[in-house]
Amino acid sequence: MQVYTTDTTSTHSARIKVGIADYAFGTDGNTLTTSGLGSCIGVALYDAEAGVSGLAHAMLPEADPDGDPAKFADTGIEALLAEMRDEGADTSRIVAKLAGGSAMFDFESSNGGKSIGERNVEAARKTLEKHGIDIVAEDVGGSHGRSLELDGKTGDLRVRSAKTGDQTL
Amino acid sequence: MNLDVRSLRTFSRLAHSGAEKAAGSLTTLAGIDTYVNVTKVELGTKTDVEQEFAERDLVSVHIGFSGGLDGRTVLAFSPESAERLVDALMPGMDGAETGTELATSSLKEVANIMLGGFIDGWADYLDTTIDITTPTYVDDDSDGPLENLESDGFEHESDNEHILVFRNQLEAADDAIEFDLYMVPSPDSIETIVDASGQHGALPVQSFAAFSDMIADGADQASADITAMTGIDTTVEVSRMSFVPIEGVPMSLTDSVRRGVVLEFFGTPSGYIAILFDEPSADNIASSLLPGMEGDEAMRQSAIQEIGNIVTSGFLDGWANTLGTTIDISPPKHVHDIGSAIVDPLATELAQSQEYAFLIDSTIRTDDDEFTCDIYALPNEEELRKALEQLSPAV
Repeated sequence: MQVYTTDTTSTHSARIKVGIADYAFGTDGNTLTTSGLGSCIGVALYDAEAGVSGLAHAMLPEADPDGDPAKFADTGIEALLAEMRDEGADTSRIVAKLAGGSAMFDFESSNGGKSIGERNVEAARKTLEKHGIDIVAEDVGGSHGRSLELDGKTGDLRVRSAKTGDQTL
Repeated sequence: MNLDVRSLRTFSRLAHSGAEKAAGSLTTLAGIDTYVNVTKVELGTKTDVEQEFAERDLVSVHIGFSGGLDGRTVLAFSPESAERLVDALMPGMDGAETGTELATSSLKEVANIMLGGFIDGWADYLDTTIDITTPTYVDDDSDGPLENLESDGFEHESDNEHILVFRNQLEAADDAIEFDLYMVPSPDSIETIVDASGQHGALPVQSFAAFSDMIADGADQASADITAMTGIDTTVEVSRMSFVPIEGVPMSLTDSVRRGVVLEFFGTPSGYIAILFDEPSADNIASSLLPGMEGDEAMRQSAIQEIGNIVTSGFLDGWANTLGTTIDISPPKHVHDIGSAIVDPLATELAQSQEYAFLIDSTIRTDDDEFTCDIYALPNEEELRKALEQLSPAV
């Protein structure tokens, strides 16, 4: 077997893709993207002074102790905040933007309670409030899907929808 | 050979961490940021896999492995992705086109690094030694990739024998490169892995096979029903069951816009189903149901709902018969949105009670590409397991 050596350390990618039940941060003005938000909630965090941005894509509102923290809005935000702080971000400077949490279908099996989308938005708000982080813009609810792109240079969050068109928060 | 949901979870985690290692080695080697999108444990027949390679016109590099485990790993690319990868490895060099010596040898090198790393993970888990062969480059469909899969000393009994395929979808977003990393263990090796995961109360693989046959029959029925309704000949291109982490379900779809219907089904098992068309397909199928009419949006929606109803009953009726249960279907809800976002709420409903899902997906298409219809069914995991128990041969 050949041995490969390389002195190029991993290049910092301009675009970082955030999966579902996943989060990521960027420090080099990276663009963070995530797609396919239906009832899922997207939380964009930005510290302009430190130049640190982060994006979480959570499926469910509150953590299940055995689950992957990134899957839930509460623990996903906590975990992303911790990583951003390690990179020099300060909670007092971080602002948040929310997108997603729609109720696309009225499932019979959900028994008419609050939709998961609504509960996701509530859980995200509650966790951000706990840390004193302001939500400066949001595009939540409705009955359509969204894809997101967070510009790490400006903190702009582009929201793409097949129904309502594109907008920048 | 017995399988159970817990060993499937072990497989899925192993395959995923192996794929992440493989992706990491490509990132380090070439500075190409590579992500693992979805890891699936697929249960299909040899013919299914063969068909997929042929239809997608794949370029692939194969590496056999033997010792503690026997089988084949394959790195498979569309010709365009292969070209972009070679170009990213050697920017500015001529000869990145598929088939040149330079392209072939760089793809082989990439495969050696990635597949080697992937197999190392399994060897560590099983605490054994696994040797790998030198890479073989296979250009598309001419000589049947599965024959190659078997050339290393094991053979599947027949084309219809069920095989387990570990499939990882990888992506280098910056360079628009997408590729699949497959691992096909020999039947004996599957036993080895199942034994190592040490699970009891497993279901015989025949139950999964019987279920997989049932899915194939359902897809055939749905295809026949579409043909009867539209007068256009259709065939089933893919029909398979895979086991995926729940978040991998929406990630299996792209963010291109799809139109179709979503339904719930109730019974043993209950679950969700989405019947989706790309936009040109939806237009074509609506037109074929409204011959000679302009048809406003409301009429087109109801035509799509009608076809969704027909496809769903065709697809699910056989399940109820085989399983000896009743499965009821909700009215179809029309959807027109980002593909992955349509499936996201379905997966999320199930995510409240399960971490993994059995994803059943079938593709029905016309010979002349007039339309393609994708069916995604997501049964409740626990209820499906109960249903599978009923399919188990009497002990």
